[in-house]
Amino acid sequence: MATGEDFIYLDYAATTPLHPAVAERMRTVQNTAGFNPASNHVAGRRSAAVVEQAAAQLAALLNVAPASLVWTSGATESNNLAIQGAARLRAHRGKHLVTMQTEHKAVVDVFRALEKQGFEVSWLAPDPDGYLPVESLARALRDDTQLVSIMHVNNETGVIQDIAALGAACRERKVLLHVDGAQAAGKIPVDLGRLPVDLYSLTAHKFYGPKGVGALFLSQGTAVEPLMFGGAQQQRLRPGTLAVDLIAGMGEAAAIAARRIDADLVHLATLRRQLLQGLRHIEGLHVNGPVDGAYPGILNVGLGDIEGESLLLALEPLCVATGSACNSRSQEPSAVLRALGRTDLEAQSAIRFSLGRATTSADIDRAICLYQDAVRKLRALAPERAA
Amino acid sequence: MNGDPYNAVVRDCFARPGHAGDVSDEDAAVAFFEDQGVRIRLSAAVLRENIKALRFRAWGCPHVIAAAEAFCRHFEGRPAAELATFDTGRLMRDLAVPVEKTGRILVLEDTVRSLRAAIEDRYTSQGQD
Repeated sequence: MATGEDFIYLDYAATTPLHPAVAERMRTVQNTAGFNPASNHVAGRRSAAVVEQAAAQLAALLNVAPASLVWTSGATESNNLAIQGAARLRAHRGKHLVTMQTEHKAVVDVFRALEKQGFEVSWLAPDPDGYLPVESLARALRDDTQLVSIMHVNNETGVIQDIAALGAACRERKVLLHVDGAQAAGKIPVDLGRLPVDLYSLTAHKFYGPKGVGALFLSQGTAVEPLMFGGAQQQRLRPGTLAVDLIAGMGEAAAIAARRIDADLVHLATLRRQLLQGLRHIEGLHVNGPVDGAYPGILNVGLGDIEGESLLLALEPLCVATGSACNSRSQEPSAVLRALGRTDLEAQSAIRFSLGRATTSADIDRAICLYQDAVRKLRALAPERAA
Repeated sequence: MNGDPYNAVVRDCFARPGHAGDVSDEDAAVAFFEDQGVRIRLSAAVLRENIKALRFRAWGCPHVIAAAEAFCRHFEGRPAAELATFDTGRLMRDLAVPVEKTGRILVLEDTVRSLRAAIEDRYTSQGQD
């Protein structure tokens, strides 16, 4: 899906296409094991075995025990279960929570909801490149702090937070750390066996798996309150009949990612360099986030004099994102970029290129040409400001 | 509903803004307006009470750019007096402009009104052949 018949797809941070082997695995499971894995009969046990295999595949990708994973519908649900579930369970100890201004809406809105329920949230600012200095986190932690939630890879800028250092600061103060890993799992090495992380959210469709399935990792001894009730599945943490085919697809996608994550990163880094090289001479162009050291599948650039919605249309047939893709129909400037110190106009004109396995060097060349042409056209159309 | 926020008229006007630029005639009437995060400049040359050339420059969303181009397409070659019939509501319907963008299209209306005044000032007072 790098290039369709009538488009060039550079929006892999929004979603990735299903890997053919994943689709094949899901078809097989639908035809042979599409039963209720909670049923205590031969067919049910066959489905349960499929779920166990998928858990083992995902656990191998993350270096955790399969039993530490809870299946969900995706990262949004995982984030809700982790943040609400942990905050509520520990509310009797304290109601102070910590997160960042640059989190995804799937985290921000959960904390906003908790604020309305009487929790106090500290919203930490990033440095100009988008990183959270560990000293900032350490200063924010209090005796009544119960939970910190930090995104692993930022969906707009590709910033990779230093989870090891941030997690160590949390452990020192015995505060739970939740990490939204939607843009990290299956894309960069994530070793939850070593990282000091208590809760980790992920979703399949960001790493070539199906939409509608995700998981939450809970480290040993970490507990959360369930958000839903209605059955004994998954230790009552997340009741409901499991979507066996989706789970099998997520397991297969994890297995594929585990095999090729290093090669993917090399491929993406090469393409990102090519893209940046082609764009950086455009007058006034700035990179949102770090030029080096970010996740190489994302490059976010902006200009101070171009209207974002017109830029997006002028870029067609390039499929890219302005602001956050999940929120791309909004006219609001990206809160993430505003937190990095960008003006409304700079934030609104930002374009996020996100690259994937099927992206080619020719796609990047075409993207560079389309971007240059679009900027030239819109600048030529613009009138001078009044004196 | 196909989810496309732009209809065919908007797409065509945005992709082929044939009236983008400035009227080079030194006697051109010019109007500029900036509001709502939008900037529009219109310039016109009038000959024998007809609009000989009409050009625009615009900074704004695709609907604003398309509206300016659609305006120029419609009125170029027509009597300058017809500018008084410019109907923002009709243009918004033709371009299927979302209601929340009404303010931006009203910037075009303000610019057209200003252009009419500039034409009147430049051509009527000078008297033209």
